[in-house]
Amino acid sequence: MQAAAILAAALLCAGCGGELSASALSKQADSLRSLAAEGALLAEDSAAGKTTHTFRRVHSSDLDKAASKEATSLQTAKTKPALESERHRLASLAQRISDDLDRLGNASKGQQRSLANELRRAADQSNRIAESLK
Amino acid sequence: MSLKNFLAIALGILSAIGGFVDIGDLVFNTQAGATFGFQLLWVVVIGVVGIIVYSEMCGRVAAISKRPVFDLVRERTGFGAGLATLIASEIVNLLTCAAEVGGVAITLQLLSGLPYRLLILLGVVALVVLSWTLPFEWIERVFGYLGLCLLVFAVAAIKLHPDWGKVAHGFVPGSHSGGSTMLYLYFVVGLLGAALTPYEVYFYSSGAVEDGWGLKELGLNKVTSIIGYALGGFLSFALMIVAAVLFLPRGIDPQFLGTPPLASADAVGELGLLLALVGILFAVGGAAIETCFAGAYNLAQFFGWRWGKRERPARASRFALSWIVIFALALLVVMTGYDPVKLTEYSVIFSVVALPLTYLPILLIANDRTYMGSHTNGRLANVLGVVYFALILLVAVAAIPLLVLTNGGQG
Repeated sequence: MQAAAILAAALLCAGCGGELSASALSKQADSLRSLAAEGALLAEDSAAGKTTHTFRRVHSSDLDKAASKEATSLQTAKTKPALESERHRLASLAQRISDDLDRLGNASKGQQRSLANELRRAADQSNRIAESLK
Repeated sequence: MSLKNFLAIALGILSAIGGFVDIGDLVFNTQAGATFGFQLLWVVVIGVVGIIVYSEMCGRVAAISKRPVFDLVRERTGFGAGLATLIASEIVNLLTCAAEVGGVAITLQLLSGLPYRLLILLGVVALVVLSWTLPFEWIERVFGYLGLCLLVFAVAAIKLHPDWGKVAHGFVPGSHSGGSTMLYLYFVVGLLGAALTPYEVYFYSSGAVEDGWGLKELGLNKVTSIIGYALGGFLSFALMIVAAVLFLPRGIDPQFLGTPPLASADAVGELGLLLALVGILFAVGGAAIETCFAGAYNLAQFFGWRWGKRERPARASRFALSWIVIFALALLVVMTGYDPVKLTEYSVIFSVVALPLTYLPILLIANDRTYMGSHTNGRLANVLGVVYFALILLVAVAAIPLLVLTNGGQG
C-alpha cells in the first residue's frame, strides 16, 4: 500500500515535470549536438554517394525520433526562471534538428548538401549552449 | 596444417566474430572510442588475453574429459552452487540473445527498409530455421566467415588516417582525459564484460565436444582460441579507432546500431557501408545462435538431458525445445519495443556480475587431476588464470555501482 502511494506520488511528479537543472539542460544540449552532428555526417556522406537510399531513410528516421523526443521533453520541461531562455532556445533548436532530419530521408542531392550545412550549424549552436551551461 | 584442421579453426572464428564481436562490442567499443579516443585500447588487450586464457582451459577440459564445462560445474561444485551459476547464466544469456535478435532486426531494417517489428519476427524465424536445418559446422562457417565482412572496419581505420603515435599510446594504461573518472571506469568494466561474456566459453566448450575433440586436438585448441579471439580483438581495435577519429571530434555519441556502419561508409563508400551491414548482420546473428545454444547446452548439461546439435531433435527433444523456447523468449523481450542498444549495455554489465560464477569452476576443474590427468594447467595458465580471476572479482563488485553512478554510462 505504502509502495503504491510512493509510486503514485512519483508518477504525479513525473507528470508535472520536474525542474531541469543547468547540468541536466547541458546534457540535453550535448545529446542534441550528437544527433545533429550525426545527421550532418549522414547527409554529407549521402550527398557524396557513400550511402544507400534505404540506409539514409531508416537511419535519419531513427535520429529524427530521438530529436523529436528531446524537443517534446524540452517543450514541456520546467526550469528556474534564469534558465528559461536557454530551455526555450534548446527546444526550438531540437525542433529544427528534428525537422531537418525528417527532410533528410527523401532529400535530393542538393538538399542533402544544404541539410548537412544546417545540421552542422545546429550542432555548433547546441555545443555553445551546452558549454554556456557548464 | 591439414584442411580438416583449417576448417576446424572456424569454431574459433565463429566464437570470435559472433562472440567477441557481438552487439556488446559494437556498442561499447564505438562508445568508448567516441568518448575517450584511443585511451581505452589497452582494455581490449586485457580482455582478449583473458578470454584466450579461459577458452583454452575450457577447450582443454572438453578435449580431455570429453565433457563440456557446465556438465562438470555441477559435479564439481554441487547442486546449490551449480544451480546459482545456471540461473545467473540463463538470465544473462536470455538478455544477450534478446539484444542480438534486436540487432539482427535493426540491421535488416537498415538494409531493407521494412518495418522493425516484422523484421524481428522474420529474423527469429530465419535464425530458428538455419539452426534447425544447418549442421553445426555449417552454422560455424556461414556466420563465422560472413562475419569477416567486419574487416571493412580495419580498412576504414587505416583510410581515416589516425595519428598512429596516439594509437600506440592508447595501448599503455595511464591517466585519461575527455570524461569523468567514473565514466572511464564504467567503460573499462563494460569493455572487459563485453570481451569475457560467459556464453562464449560455454558455447566454445560444448562446441569442442560436438566436434569430437580429443587429445590430438589440444594443439588445435590453442591455435583456435589464440587466432579466433585475437582476430576478434583486432576488430575491436578497429571499431574503437574509427569512432575516435570520426565521432569524437564531431561530438557524436553513438547510441544507434546504424552509427558504426556510417563510419565505414564515410571512409570506404557505399561498398564499405554494405560490407559493414552484412558483417554486423552475421556477427550479431551468429551471436544470437551462440547465446541461444549456450542457454540450451547449460540447461541440458545441468539436468543431465541428452544434448547436441548433432543429435536428432527427436532423440534430444528437451535440448531442442530449450533453444527454441529461448529464441521465443528473446523474441518477446524485443517485441516490447525496448531499445536493443540499451538492452545490450545492461546485459553486458549484468554479465560482469555473473562472471565469477562462470570462471571459478573452470579454473578449479582445469587444475583437478581427477578430470584432467596430466593435462592440468601449467604454471603460466595458472598464474594468468588466478590474476584474471582476481580482476574478474574486482570488476564484478564495481559493475553495478558504476552503472548507477554514471547513469548507465551517460556520465
